[in-house]
Amino acid sequence: MNAPVKPGALGIGARPLAAPDPIIRFERIGKAYPGRRGQQAVTALSGIDLSVPAGAIVGVIGRSGAGKSTLIRLVNGLEKVTAGRLLIEGEDVTGLNEAGWRRRRREIGMIFQHFNLLSSRTVFDNVALPLEIAGTPRAAIAAKVETLLALVGLADKRERYPAELSGGQKQRVGIARALATDPKVLLCDEATSALDPETTRSILALLKQVNRELGLTILLITHEIPVIKEICDRVAVIEGGRIVEEGDTFSVFTDPQHPTTARFVEAVTGVELPAHLEGRIRRDGRPGDDLVLRITFTGENATAPVISRLGSVVGVDVNILAGRIDAIAGRPFGSLLVSVPSRLPESEAVLAALKTLDLKAEVIGHVS
Amino acid sequence: MFPEIISPQILQLIAQATVDTLSMVAVAAGLGTLIGLPLGVFLATSRRGELFAAPAANLLLGTLVNATRSTPFIILVVAIIPFTRLIAGTSIGTTAAIVPLTVAATPFIARLIEGAIREVDQGLVEAARAMGATPLQIVRKVLVPEALPAIVLGLTLAVVSLIGFSAMVGAVGGGGLGDLGIRYGYQRFMPEVMAAVVAVLIVLVQAVQSFGDRLSRRLNKRLRHT
Repeated sequence: MNAPVKPGALGIGARPLAAPDPIIRFERIGKAYPGRRGQQAVTALSGIDLSVPAGAIVGVIGRSGAGKSTLIRLVNGLEKVTAGRLLIEGEDVTGLNEAGWRRRRREIGMIFQHFNLLSSRTVFDNVALPLEIAGTPRAAIAAKVETLLALVGLADKRERYPAELSGGQKQRVGIARALATDPKVLLCDEATSALDPETTRSILALLKQVNRELGLTILLITHEIPVIKEICDRVAVIEGGRIVEEGDTFSVFTDPQHPTTARFVEAVTGVELPAHLEGRIRRDGRPGDDLVLRITFTGENATAPVISRLGSVVGVDVNILAGRIDAIAGRPFGSLLVSVPSRLPESEAVLAALKTLDLKAEVIGHVS
Repeated sequence: MFPEIISPQILQLIAQATVDTLSMVAVAAGLGTLIGLPLGVFLATSRRGELFAAPAANLLLGTLVNATRSTPFIILVVAIIPFTRLIAGTSIGTTAAIVPLTVAATPFIARLIEGAIREVDQGLVEAARAMGATPLQIVRKVLVPEALPAIVLGLTLAVVSLIGFSAMVGAVGGGGLGDLGIRYGYQRFMPEVMAAVVAVLIVLVQAVQSFGDRLSRRLNKRLRHT
């Protein structure tokens, strides 16, 4: 972490995040279900504005019941918009009829939390299903399915049935199936929520790979913040049927504006006070106390040799209590809890030094 | 032991009656499936918000199915004699018996198939819709193949019930094992014939049931085959 890293090498600004023409665009979209027998209509979504740039991976995160499942199903017409406009590749699809949607859906792949593979079909035949539905000739189906199975690393499982596969393998079949008709967009409905963390990582790596290699746009919904951290270029936080915060993943994670967002990102960016210190921390300081600080590193500073510099330049002993350095959307991000002597002028010098290094420092309290 | 107490002529009668029963059951089950399968699929997919949403037609057909199923079979046989005559040209004999058997089997099979189809995970229907499948494609490529092991079990149950029903049509001159048992075993006081008839029926039911079970298990890919 001592090597000087130039911003360009980190990919900052290298990715065209705000492409001029988004592939999916929600404009003031609302979704309400008609009430039954005189009851009031149920509003699932309201005032949704969201753009999915072509080639990007966009994540929508929210708790269950927040409306994210409804939101993703609007994109392939499994649920119908009841207010606002939905544009796909610039075309208004809000009022599309069922036949129109069927054509559209062949250009939009979808994968599911519970995979939704046909138990009666082999891996090969599961991947072939969307092509059969589209009326692709047999020979072309075989060639395409072989290619896809090789892509997801399941060429040796072609004659197996889903019951014989692990969860991760099932989702790989799901991905191969979703890619069969060469869609431009892939919708991921909690695609990793039924998988263990290690399998989740391998599935996310595969999604990232198809995003990069095939130029596939991915819109995913999840309640797992690590999924967003791992692969999303942009993130929208949804709560109570509304998007409460939206932006590029790194900014949202490092500077959350909404309390819900803050709670979500805390799990991956926050550093907790060690248990033995928690009870001893005080608001006000006494002579001889140590000052506990939380230092947040973002971007190029995350890899700067800050602590050793504080020691040598300011001449104070910096005691590291807890910390983590991580990558968010491919950019380094760190958070460190340290204690320094609280007596003046040392503590002032430390804070000043941190300021000149352009690091965010927050005083947590005093500890004796 | 039967050869000593049952004459060769009676044995011949039992053989003929077995063939009659099997053919009645086979034809009725075949016709019942032919009509019951689409009917069952429709019943399973036509409620409000479903693939072929037609709540009124669903209610009408559902009521018709219930009405037929709640009529005791022996009454059904007598009640539809004019219809039987219209179709088979007569109301007596093995061919004529096929008509009431089919009428009784069809709604039964339809309900069994409806149940099997409803057991299919809705997630699969959603996945197929997301691929751009038409409702008919969803039925052909998803619902029926996925429900097949359960459908086979249901049809097995239907065939077993039909074997029982077919013995009942014997009471109204339908032919087959039931007819033989009543005429010889009961009316002519030949308990050995009655016993033989029951034994054949037991063997038939056993054979049908184990064949159905085995076929269903073979088709069920949800179980691991290693």
